[in-house]
Amino acid sequence: MKETREQAAYSYVTRQSQDLLFVLSGDGRILEANESARSLTGCRENDTAFSDLVVDFTGTFNIADMVKAPGGPHLLNIKTAAGLPQSYDFYFEQIQNRTLGFGRLDAREMAHMQKQLLSLNQELNNLTRRLHKQNAELARLNQEKNQFLGMAAHDLRKPIGLILTYSEFLLDEAARDLDTEHQNFLSTIHNRSLFMKNLVDDFLDVSAIEARRFDLDLQPADMPKVLSQSLEINRLQAQKKGVMLEVDMGACPGPAVIDAAKIEQAVTNLVCNAIDYSREGDTVRVRLFCRQDHLIFSVEDNGPGMSRQDMEKLFTPFGRTRTKKTAGEKSTGLGLLITHKIITAHNGTLHVESAPDRGTTITVKLPVIKQFETPTE
Amino acid sequence: MITEALYQNYLTLLLDGNRRECARIVQQLLGRDIEIKTLYADLFQKSLYEVGRLWEFNRISVAKEHLVTAITEGLLNLVYPRLFERAVSDSGNDRKVVISCAANEFHQVGGKMVADIFELNGWDSQFLGANTPVDQMLSHIQEEKPDLVGLSVSVYFNMPALKAGLAAIRGNFQHLDIFVGGQAFNWGGTEITKQYSGTAYVPSLDRLTPLIAA
Repeated sequence: MKETREQAAYSYVTRQSQDLLFVLSGDGRILEANESARSLTGCRENDTAFSDLVVDFTGTFNIADMVKAPGGPHLLNIKTAAGLPQSYDFYFEQIQNRTLGFGRLDAREMAHMQKQLLSLNQELNNLTRRLHKQNAELARLNQEKNQFLGMAAHDLRKPIGLILTYSEFLLDEAARDLDTEHQNFLSTIHNRSLFMKNLVDDFLDVSAIEARRFDLDLQPADMPKVLSQSLEINRLQAQKKGVMLEVDMGACPGPAVIDAAKIEQAVTNLVCNAIDYSREGDTVRVRLFCRQDHLIFSVEDNGPGMSRQDMEKLFTPFGRTRTKKTAGEKSTGLGLLITHKIITAHNGTLHVESAPDRGTTITVKLPVIKQFETPTE
Repeated sequence: MITEALYQNYLTLLLDGNRRECARIVQQLLGRDIEIKTLYADLFQKSLYEVGRLWEFNRISVAKEHLVTAITEGLLNLVYPRLFERAVSDSGNDRKVVISCAANEFHQVGGKMVADIFELNGWDSQFLGANTPVDQMLSHIQEEKPDLVGLSVSVYFNMPALKAGLAAIRGNFQHLDIFVGGQAFNWGGTEITKQYSGTAYVPSLDRLTPLIAA
């Protein structure tokens, strides 16, 4: 009867118990391990040293010291086959020339940890829920703001246009009857009106972008011609500032299917920006060429350049703020955002190369060549 | 949209702790534009009730039950972008509901799904979470002045805590409508609503409709 009970106990410990049991040789090799120890650690009997299973940061682990030390338990971190170490309370017993090592988990600690992890997970999930709710609310408010911005910009456009036209009339026809001071007043009214018109136009574009109403009117167009037209405005600007505009246009095999007005706007924005950041006597280089399936357009300036941090914000609203324009030119801070949208809407890309004091090159790549051959109507 | 075969597959994966495959199923259903209420009732609620039953009958461990619940809560996060986008874009009804779990009740996913269904129907639903102390719940109600309060209890042994919560709410807010629900009621206890006026028992997500429309 006694033998049967011992056998039952031994069978339970070796096969079913979740506690760990190791039988070690005098030199610390694992001679025997119960099922739980084998599956947890992946150890092999007669092959693995017990010390190899122990996470020992200080390199001081010595099984003989632990066996000699009275009492216990000894807290040991055991490497597991799953990868995460697991802490066990170990008791060691010396029987003849063998050492028995019993490891057990601290169930209270595990229960406590489980509860804490559950609570943390719940808190995190509840915060995620609140975050999603607030994000949706912010998106709605942003949409309302854009609608308001679009309405306001739309309503402002007409009166600003009138001020601009009438100030132009006055400058053309009545300026000679005014003294210099009043002519300057008139010029200021005209210039500021022009700035306001550009601002309102940019706001309308941004409002359309944000409302996802940025539609393209795709038509076959001659890209070098589009570029030349865009550069007309920039030439005047460069001339006024004493900046050289160097244009290098390669041949393109045919018309590109693009929204010409929007591409013109993007080109003007990029070149305008390059001139704004150039000093008198600097050169802005504009290149257009075709390569394989793409049309490539680049604008290079010798301006102050940008840090990586500034480059990351370049195509965001009011993003380019650190570097100052060389002649204090005013801008809406929305031009590059709009440009980015125009190019990406054409499935194109913008690549920026820049470093402080080393100028900036922005390269636009448009995948339009394939469409050259088939203006099918 | 949720066939029995799909549900059984999901339940098996859930019990195996296969978070990624469960998420893939939910993403596929969302991709097919499943109605959120259907997803909640026929997949999440149904599987959680089954897992709860398996636990109550000692067929699975408490650790597994916790794992399943944690996975399901994670899956709710996949639904939220769409849920709140719809909830916010629909004109709200200016009504507010506070949903809370009873004190000592650590199962919150049921209550959270109830809060989400209200949200989806134009309510501003505020979910206080698991194990909400009664005084904290009362001060939140005082501050937010909701039109309705829901209390969730999943484990039958937490019924006394639910009772204490109900007594405290009724004692402080005599005319506030309350509803209760949760898996604990599978073992009885619905008579609790008779002890507190203006208190209703809602047995499932489907039966929330009259309260939402009221």
